[in-house]
Formats: sequence, C-alpha cells, structure tokens
Amino acid sequence: MAKAYTPGLKVTNRITHRCRRILPIDGEVLVEVGDEVGARDIVAQTFMPGDVIPVNLANLLSLPPADVTECMLKQKGDKIEIGDPLARTKGIFGMMKNTYVSRHAGTIEAVSEVTGQIILRGEPIPVQIDAYLAGRVVEVLESQGVVIEADVSFVQGIFGIGGEAHGRMTMACERHDQELTADLITEEMNDCVIIGGARMTYEAISKAREVGAVAVVSGGMDDQDLKDFLGYDLGVAITGNEDVGLTVIVTEGFGEIAMAVRTFKLLKSREGDIAAVNGATQIRAGVMRPEILIPLSEEEKAHEQESGHSEGLLEIGRPVRIIRDPYFGMIGEVGGLPAEPQTLDSGSKARVLEVALDSGESVVVPRANVELIEG
Amino acid sequence: MKHSRVSPLRLLFLLALVSSLASATHGQEADDGVVSSPPRPPSNLRAVDYPMDKGEKIDLTWDLSLDDPENVSTYLVYRSRTDKEIEKKIADDRKKFIDAVKTAATEGLFGEGWKDRMADLTQEQLTHVREVRSRAAERAETTFSSDPTSEDNVYKFLGTAMPGENEFVIDKLDGKKSYTFMVKAVGTDLSQSAGVVTEVGLTPVLQWFDGEWNTSGGRFWLSIIILVFCGAVVFWILRARSGKPIRVRKIAGLEAVDEAVGRATEMGRPILFVPGIQDMNDIQTIAAMTILSHISKTAAEYDAKIEVPTARSLVMTTARETVQASYLTAGKPDAYNQDLIYYVTDEQFGFVAYLSGMMVREKPAACFYMGAFYAESLILAETGNHVGAIQIAGTAMPAQLPFFVAACDYTLIGEEFFAASAYLSGSPEELGSLKGQDVGKIIVVFLMFIGITLFTLAALTSANPGLSSIFRNMGDFLKNVILT
Amino acid sequence: MNQIDPDQVQVILATDCGSTTTKAILIQKLEGVYRQTHRGEAPTTVEEPFADVTMGVINSVTEVEELSGRKLVDESGRIIQPASGDEGCDIYISTSSAGGGLQMMVAGVVAEMTAASAKRAALGAGAIVMDVISANDKRKPHEQINRIRELRPDMILVSGGTDGGNTTQVVQIAELIAPAKPQPRFGKEFTMPLIYAGNKDAAPLIEKVFDESIDLSIVPNLRPKMEMENLGPARDMIHDMFLEHVMAHAPGYDKLMGWTDAPIMPTPAAVGNILQRIAKDKKINVVGVDIGGATTDVFSVFDKTFNRTVSANLGMSYSISNVCAESGMENILRWVHFDMDERELRNRVKNKMIRPTTIPQSKEALIFEQAVAREALRLAYIQHKEFATTLKGVQQQRTVGDTFSQEAGGQTIVDNMKLNLLVASGGVLSHAPRMHQTALLLVDAFEPEGVTHLAKDSIFMMPHLGVLAEVHTKAAVEVFEKDCLIYLGTCVAAKGLGKPDKLCFTFTLRGDTLNESGEMNFGDIRLLPLGPEETATITCEPSRNFDLGAGPGKKIEQEVRGGTVGLILDARGRPLRLPVDRPACQKAIAKWVDAIGLYPEPEEALV
Repeated sequence: MAKAYTPGLKVTNRITHRCRRILPIDGEVLVEVGDEVGARDIVAQTFMPGDVIPVNLANLLSLPPADVTECMLKQKGDKIEIGDPLARTKGIFGMMKNTYVSRHAGTIEAVSEVTGQIILRGEPIPVQIDAYLAGRVVEVLESQGVVIEADVSFVQGIFGIGGEAHGRMTMACERHDQELTADLITEEMNDCVIIGGARMTYEAISKAREVGAVAVVSGGMDDQDLKDFLGYDLGVAITGNEDVGLTVIVTEGFGEIAMAVRTFKLLKSREGDIAAVNGATQIRAGVMRPEILIPLSEEEKAHEQESGHSEGLLEIGRPVRIIRDPYFGMIGEVGGLPAEPQTLDSGSKARVLEVALDSGESVVVPRANVELIEG
Repeated sequence: MKHSRVSPLRLLFLLALVSSLASATHGQEADDGVVSSPPRPPSNLRAVDYPMDKGEKIDLTWDLSLDDPENVSTYLVYRSRTDKEIEKKIADDRKKFIDAVKTAATEGLFGEGWKDRMADLTQEQLTHVREVRSRAAERAETTFSSDPTSEDNVYKFLGTAMPGENEFVIDKLDGKKSYTFMVKAVGTDLSQSAGVVTEVGLTPVLQWFDGEWNTSGGRFWLSIIILVFCGAVVFWILRARSGKPIRVRKIAGLEAVDEAVGRATEMGRPILFVPGIQDMNDIQTIAAMTILSHISKTAAEYDAKIEVPTARSLVMTTARETVQASYLTAGKPDAYNQDLIYYVTDEQFGFVAYLSGMMVREKPAACFYMGAFYAESLILAETGNHVGAIQIAGTAMPAQLPFFVAACDYTLIGEEFFAASAYLSGSPEELGSLKGQDVGKIIVVFLMFIGITLFTLAALTSANPGLSSIFRNMGDFLKNVILT
Repeated sequence: MNQIDPDQVQVILATDCGSTTTKAILIQKLEGVYRQTHRGEAPTTVEEPFADVTMGVINSVTEVEELSGRKLVDESGRIIQPASGDEGCDIYISTSSAGGGLQMMVAGVVAEMTAASAKRAALGAGAIVMDVISANDKRKPHEQINRIRELRPDMILVSGGTDGGNTTQVVQIAELIAPAKPQPRFGKEFTMPLIYAGNKDAAPLIEKVFDESIDLSIVPNLRPKMEMENLGPARDMIHDMFLEHVMAHAPGYDKLMGWTDAPIMPTPAAVGNILQRIAKDKKINVVGVDIGGATTDVFSVFDKTFNRTVSANLGMSYSISNVCAESGMENILRWVHFDMDERELRNRVKNKMIRPTTIPQSKEALIFEQAVAREALRLAYIQHKEFATTLKGVQQQRTVGDTFSQEAGGQTIVDNMKLNLLVASGGVLSHAPRMHQTALLLVDAFEPEGVTHLAKDSIFMMPHLGVLAEVHTKAAVEVFEKDCLIYLGTCVAAKGLGKPDKLCFTFTLRGDTLNESGEMNFGDIRLLPLGPEETATITCEPSRNFDLGAGPGKKIEQEVRGGTVGLILDARGRPLRLPVDRPACQKAIAKWVDAIGLYPEPEEALV
C-alpha cells in the first residue's frame, strides 16, 4: 500500500447531493423528472397490505376444523366489518345454532380446513414519502421512487439519533468550543435546528425538546447523557427510528470535545437557512452517517466551487483528526508518513504517522487512528 | 428453680409436718401449759412484685431467724386472704363444724360405724336420728363463732422454706387484689415463733414479658423462638420484595413441565393429569390444583390438549375452574374445552382400570400424577412408562414415593410438592416465607443436634461427674427451659 | 466438477471471500507433506462499483502468484486447472461470507424442541439465524406475521412435529408465513426458498398452503422422533439452496461456482467442518471461537456432537458498546488491575463503536480492550453452553437411587473438563501484541478445566481447510496441524474452590527441557517455559477439594504440549471467582498479570 486510504467525514459548503426516496414496496410516483420540489412535498405514495388477523373459528365455535368451510357465512375475498356474522354452526336439528360475529374489520384472505382458522387482512395502510431535500427531481424509478438533486452545504456527523427533520438553523453557541447548556436554549428556537459548540448536556437536549426544536447538533456528548435521554444503553450503532421527539447529531464523538472549527464556521455561515437533517446512523457494512443538508440559494450557486484535496488519500499537509485516545479529538496536519511499522505503547506493531497538532506539538499515532477532514 | 424442686421424701416430711402443726396449734389453744422454746422470728420481711410474670406472682424475702439453723426446722409462709376468701373460709368452717357436731351426735347414739348399720334401723329409729341431728345442728349453729380478723382466718398457709432459705415465690395471686404476707419460723421441737408480717399491702403487677431467660415455664424462650421464626419469614419476604433475588433450588420436576408439555405438543398427543384419588379436603389434592394451574397454562400457551380424569366429583369441578382460569390467563379462552376434565368413578381400582386403558389407547405424551396416591401409583406409572410418556409425579405419600421415583422421569418429593406453588408463582411473599420456613427448619435441626451432642457427652463423661453434670445441666436447660 | 485422485494432487488453491477482504492461500505438497506456502489478500468486490466477486478473487490469487512465482491465472482471467509444471493448481475451492453471509429465519412448533433443532441445523450449515418463530414464543400471531414481514432472510427453514405427530400447529405456522409474503434480501424477482423439514404427515398440507411466490422444498424431518435429531438432510438442502438461490444471485458467483472443485460453502460452515474433522480424526473434544467486530461465533465438538452459536451482538468494534451494556462496566473493569475513570471509559467505548477501525495505542487502552474481549467471550460461551444441550422432551430412565439427584433433560453437553483443544481466531485474539495475552484471555473467558491445549488460527485458514476437507481430507488435516494452528501451550487447571494460599495441587514435570516440581496454592497461576514442538509429562496430585480430571483429590499423569507461550498452571479455581472488593480484585489481577508476564514494558515504546 503506497498510499493510505483513510475515510473521513464530509464537511463541505458546496456539493451536488443526490438523494434517493424509495417506497418500501411498489407504489405510485407523484412527480416527474425536472420538477422542483420542496422538502415537505409528497413525491410518492403507496398502500401497504394491511395487518393480518388470524381467527380460529374451529375453537371459537367448537367445530372440527374440516367443517369450518361449510359453516362460513362469508367467502374468501369478502369484505368484513366489525359485527358482521362470519360463520354459523349447523346446530342440532336446526336448533341451537351458534354464530360468530367478527370483532375485526378486513378481507377474508384464506380459510383453512386443517387448523380451522381464517385469515383476515385489515385495511391497507397508506405510506407516503416526502422529498426531504428541497431540489429538483432528476430521475424517476418506475413505481418505486425518485432521485432528487440539489446543490447543498453538506455536513456529515459521526453519530446521531432520531430520523429526518427540517428546520431553520439557529446558533446557540458563540464559539466552537463552547459547551451547549440548557440556558443557551430559548423559546424562540421552536421548530429550529439548534447548532451548539462542544459537548451538549442532557439538560440542554431536554430543554430543546421542551421548546419544540426539531434537531440539536453539537460537537460531543457524554455517553451517560445519551443513555439518560434515550432511556436505555445503546448497544449497537444502528439508529434512526428512536422516538425521542427530536433529532440529535454529534459531529465529533463522545466526551468533551469541541466541534471542528471548519464545521462550526460552515454551519454558522448558513445560520437562518432551512436545513434537512437526518440522525440515522448505521455503522456496519453499508455505513450510514447522520447528515445536515442545507440547500444553496440561487446567488450562492453562482459562486465558484472551492477546490479540495484528492479524495481520501493521506498526504503530508492534509488536515486530520485523531480519533482514539490518548489524543482523542485533537486536530492537526499530517507531518510525516514513516513507511516502516513501529511498536506502539501497547506492544503491537502498526503503521504510524506524525501529526503536527494545531498547538504546534507533534505526536505519533497509528494510521488507523486518524481520519481525514474532507472537504 | 430452687424452690420448685421438691423431692418426694421431703414432700412426705412436709405433709407430716403440716398436719402435726395443725394439731399443735390446736393443742396450744387447748393447753397453754406446754413448755416450749420457740425460735426467734425471722425479720425484715419484704414483698416485691415478681419481675417478668403475667401478674400472679410476688417475691418474698426475709432475714433469717437468729436461731437459724440451730433451732429452726422450717419456715412457714402465709399470705393474707381477701375479704371474700375470709367469708368463704368462715362459711366452710361453719359447715365443717356443724357436720362434725351432727356426726358426733349420731355417734353418741349408735357408736362408731353407725353408717353401716343404717339399713338395720327401724323407721322410728331413723326419725329419732334425724331429730337428734337437727337439734345438734341448731345448737351448733348458735355456738359456732369465728373471728374474721383472727390470724387463722386472715392468713392462708402457702408453703414452707427450708432453714437457710430466705425467699419464697408466691404464685396464683389475683392481679386486682392487694396482699400482705406473714412468715413464721418453726423450731426443732415444732414450736412456732411469732409471725412477721409485711406492713403494706402489695398487688402483683402484670409485666410486658412473662418469664426470665433462665426459668422454665416462662414465655421468654417461646417469644425468642417465635421472633426468630417469624422474623426469618418477614425478613426473607422483605428481602424478596426489595428485589434481591431469592434462589430456590431447581426442582427438576417442575422445570420439566415445559419439556413434558412440549413433547406432547410436538407429538400431537394429549397430556394426562391425574389429581390423586382423594377429595378436595386433602391438602395434597389442593397442592395438585396449584400445579395443574401451571401445567394447564403452559398447555394453553403451547396449544396442547390436557385431559384430567378425576375420582371425585368435587375435584372435577375445581379442576375445571382451575384450567379455565389458566386458559384465560394464557390469553386463549377459546381453546378451553371442559369436556376433557371429567369424573370417572370413586372406586379406586375402577378409576385405575379406566386410566390404564385410556393410556394404552391414547398414548399420552406426558403424564402428571399429583396428589394422594395409594396402591395405584405403580400401576399408573408403569403403564405411562410403557406408552413412552414423560412422567412427572408429586405426592406426599412416603410409601408411594419409591415407586414413582423408579417409574417416573421426575418426582416431587413431599415438601417439594407443597413448595411448588411458591416455586411456580415466584411471588416474593411466597418465596420469602418458603425461605423463612427453611431457616426455622435449620434452627430446629441445629438445636436437635446440640441437644443430642450434650446428652451424648454427658453419658460419655460419666466417669467425671463434674464434667458430666455440666453437660447434663446444659442439656436439661435446653430441654426444660428453652424448649418448654 | 472434475474427478480428483487424491494422491496426484500437488497444488491446492483456496479462497475465502469475506465481507471486506478476500483471502487466498496456496497449499503445496513438499517432501510428501502438504504445507501452506503462500497467501494473498485483496478487497472483496461484491458491491458496486465492481459487482463481481471474481475480481477480488483474481486479485488475491495474483498476489499469491507474485509471491510464489507460480502462474495461477491465465490471460483471460481464469484460474488454471489442473496443475502442470509451474502452472496452475489441482484443486481450487472457495468459501463465502460476502454480503453478510447466509441469513435465515427458522420456525418450529416448540421453541426448545423442533425449533431448536431447526436452529441447530441452520447454524450448523453456517447461517446467521435472524429469528426463531415458534408456537410458544409468547408472541401473538399478528406480531409473528409482522416480524416475518420485517425480516428479509435469504431462506426460511420450517420444521415441527415428530413424524406422525403434530400437524395442526405445523400448518398453522405455514399459514402465518404464507400471508406474510416474506421478501428475499436480494431483489424482488427471486422467489423465497423455504425448506420444510417437519412432520412428514403434514408435508402435503404444507404444499397446499404456499403459492408460487415461495420455492418450497421438502426434506426428511429433522426431528423424526423426540429422541432423535436428523439434521443432515436439512443442512444439505440449506447448502444447495445457498448455492442455487443466494449465491447465484450475488454478483459474479455464478462464474466462481464454475471454477471450484467443491461447492462454495458459507465460511462458518467450513470452519465447523474442519473442527468436526479434526475432532473425529484425533478423537478429541474441541472448542473454537471466532471473535469479530460485530459477532462472535463459538463452535464446539463434544463426543462427536457439533454445535455452533453466533452471538450476534457480541463483538469488539461495532458491538463493543453492546458488550459493555450486557455485561456491565463493573464486570469489565474487574479484569483491569488499575483505576480507570468510568465516565471516560464509557465515552471511549462509544467512540470505538462509532469509529470501529481504530486500534489501541496506549497500554491502558489495550488492557481495557482485552478486558472487554474477556467479557464478550465469556458471554458468548455462556450462550453457547445454553444452546449446546442434549435433546429436550426425551423420556428419562430412573432408579430409586436418583431420588435426590433428578437431573432435567436438555443439560448442556459442553464440559470444560473433557475439553482437549481450544482454538482462537479473530482480531483481538490473533492480533494481540503478545501471545501470552491471547492465551490468558482464553483461559479467563473459557475457564478450561483439567489439561487443555490452547491454540490460535494463524491467518484464519480454517474456512479454506474446511472446504478442502470435503475434497481432500488428508491435505486439510496435515495443513491444519502444521500451518494453521499455532500452539500457544497447555493450560492445566484445577476445578474446585478453596481458601487462598492453601495447597491446590502439587506437580512434577519430566521432559527434555523442563524438569521441575512444585506446589500450587489456591489463587496462584504460573507460567513454565515449554517451547513449540516440545512436550513433557506432568504428574499432578490435587488436594481433596480439587479435580484435575480424574476426580477430586485423584492423581493425574498426562502429556502436555508446549507452545509459543508455554505451560500455564492455573490454581485459581473453577468456577473462576474474582474478589468482589475492587482493591482486592485489582491486587489479584495484578498478581496474575505479573505471573504470566502479560504486559511487559515494550522495548522501544514509541509513544
């Protein structure tokens, strides 16, 4: 390996971002290629098959399962309302007939002679998908969904909870290394995406939820605060479906860590704009990181795109963040890339690199323990 | 303890003494001229309430007579009678006196042994006798007199104390009355000193606790034992409630219920539950119902069929209720079929014959025998084994246990069978009391062990009387004081 | 597939397509013995933009080619077969766990019986079991249906009922699956493969329940009687379905399947295969463990019975936070012999979870990570023990003597005293800076009893050898012995508990290089030098409360094998109990760390 490839998190003030909006099952796409859509516009919809309710008639009517078919008053495919008689026993000499009245609404999907149960399928459940990102439809996937494209400022976080949300960006912290505490959050932040600096406290997130903010973004967070907020200890980093009232995004990591200056400056420059955020994180094959998307206005689009480094290569002079103790969270530039593996303090041998920290100090760390700050 | 231990010899002596004293007193009145040198009386008589009793005892102490022990053979202890007692005594005395006069009058006529000759008397003679007697009675009526303040009437003899002893515990007093006491010394020639009397009346007081730790008959040790036993139960219940897990030894037979029911489910065969052949008044049948409720709940969850033939009609009704409730708890009330719980016959072997036949025909995959069983135990268990069922038995019949153990897969033995309800419910109250009872049992076993050890040691060390008596005394203390 | 004459085979090429890397090894016959000679690695190319697994295979083989100087791939990008001179190979085989391996859902009537047997069949075939549906899993039918809908397994295995037994509930389960219309993971156009291995009487009814959206195959019942399990047919069918459905639809696999001389196996199935083979050949009991970033696999062969479990959320990176949550921080910290700030540690754990590729730089970080590994392995082994049991629902035979010792059915068959060989693989174990750490990690987590050999898989070669065993057992066994396993040494541990510093056992060692005798007190652990390829005879006399395999207090005499670590004499007692009191625990751990020399000062510490 001549060049080390170290993936990092994307933080850029201008990128053309595409997002796929796909239905869970086939359905109807409501927009066409070229349409401009707003974040909350519905782009596709469908009906999920309803819930399945098995009803064991054999037991309910004390029948042998084989007799269930004969006793049915409704047939396969019929629609049933609550209170409709479903089946009636033959009784003795036409007397003492027993009737089962349905307690569920739905359609009869199957009648079994082996088990004596019938399967009722409930009403279809409508599923709608919004555009999430305000932009232009560039592709329609037949009966599945659409691809939307927009020029955006794009910030990837390292970890988040909660799903998709939209709101106006509001700065709560003045500096990138200022802790986000409850007193910085005000009533006016209702429906906003709150941007903090360093660690956010449990009280601050709770307050944000109280005032009705849609999302909180900050540099770091304590594991304990996360546990308190979620109500349980998160075991595996697959998130996005938590029902906690708002989306929380951590940009750097756990602990007392300040947001990267670059990220902070970028977010600050876009204060007041509408952002689309998603806290969904999945750290497994097919990595998903939380994201903050801020569509650019027309005049901003006219600006030149800044040139960056080549993607993902570890080179001398590139900004990196150290992502493992003992230097966790420190930011610097690659100062040297010794080719030979070296023995670490832990006793293992690994390839290392020198990092010139912003403070002027230079430290040596394993290459696995840095990530590029991409732009 | 000292004053309560009375040897037979001493008792005999005392009886003789008392009777002679009574006559002596009498003699004194009749004949003043007898020369005697009575001992000096004891002094400083004090009465205090006996501590730790139920309000019936008073402790009496005095300073020994100055003649003790040279000229003292015993001390006599008296207490004052209450007014009612005095009245009663006088009335009794009067009656005795009249009777004595009547008897004397009759004897005067016919001599001793007249009673035997009564049958021979003529009608006239009899009338005469009656007249004589009634006249004598009238006479006696007028001549009898008794001073209610006399010492004899006021003080009631209670007992004696040996020379050198200066205390006496008076028992069986009335907690509402006030008493005074008197003690006399008796010389070697049986002459009595003057009585020394307590000045102020004293009422025995009821104390909170009855008995001291080293006296027998008290309730001290009983209270300790109750405290320990109940305390253990309460302690374990509280502990269980506080969320600390209580570990109960795994009872394989109950753990295996899921397995047995599962087997029946997989094999598509019924589960057989036999609740013994006794009626609902048998505690074992009740325990069986607890277990049935658990098994039928599992069966409901697994959707397996459970069949309960019974030998008593009442058991059938109870079983139906139990199983229905279980199906309801399991959320499958629709799957409950009461026809599977039925009465067969009260006849022991008729019932067994039915069961054996049914087992061979239907081949249940799981059989439960829970309750009181007699001769049928092995017949059932062997048949079940033969048809290849997982069998779980539970009974408190010691004679049937070996059969069940040998022929069944799992057996709940006696206590396990009764502990099942706590085990299955897992409720802190039941588990706690189970554990608390265990603590009690451990203590009992421990005490038995100690007692056996002490008496064994006492017997082994008989060559060394000192040591032997120490062990024996300790053993006696355990037996007579702690455990009475 | 060509017919192979085992004696003529000179060169064997094997690849394992993992989810991130494809590994190739070359095995050659040298001086009459098969040895693994070269290896190569390349990123797996299943996903976009490459979407052809053979590219990664060829890349890795090319690396082997460069190292060995032997031409293995021809100009058209095919593996050259058979070997001739300096070219090609005689046998080419491959395993695959790309795309997350084989993911299955299983169903049965009773969770502990047919459903457990079905799970065993699926796990044994190398699958990850996503969920087990059973009649008594305490879920309502509609919840079960929702769950079936949510899951997107590669395959479904349904069993239930003994032959001639339950039909109703088996059909009921089928009736739950049918309307749920489970979707296969790969694409919509494929039908979901469903294997039915239940009551044979229910098979015709089952056929009626499913429509054409399910590809139903019926195999003999995997639990024909309660007393008997017959997992073979179901396992074979899973393999067939794996190739036919799952593999065939993964990009490039159709091509790869054309190249291989034996069917492509799921990686874990291959590992299980080689362990079973070794256990059978050498008549020993084996436990193997593979601890990864997300999951931990435990394999065991006891008395010829093979079991495998996958602990889905016990791993060292993605799942590290879950290990901490499940075991509790205080349980992890008991393995650490100095004070650590718990709040900071919790943050560190979460940081490792969100950045799984980092490696510990400082010694403290390493010690902590290994403490987590101990707990992960311990928990995984507990899960394994709970799963690897004798059959449940079986009649017991009793005598009156059993009155007070009635044992329930379904007892674990894992018996550490009978265990002969413990094999470790997976990053944290095989890449520990010192082998001593690997060895003690194994001893602490698995608590072997009696005499147990410890080994690690050098380069995770077991999957390759597992498939090779199918076509050429001799080569597989030889390479396994010579190159695959690195023997760490032997652990001699006494079972039982005693008072600290009281005699646990005395030992006498006789060997070429090691002649020593001494006493071990309770609470001690000792490392004696015994190099690789060296053996010695140990005679141990345990004191009354301790058992070394012959029974409490009974003397044993056995041969022990050396290794890169040596001979570990463990008198810490079993079950291994650590002092509850924190300072006392730290002291004990520090003593043990010192005795084994786990964390010496590195000679040239960099930072």
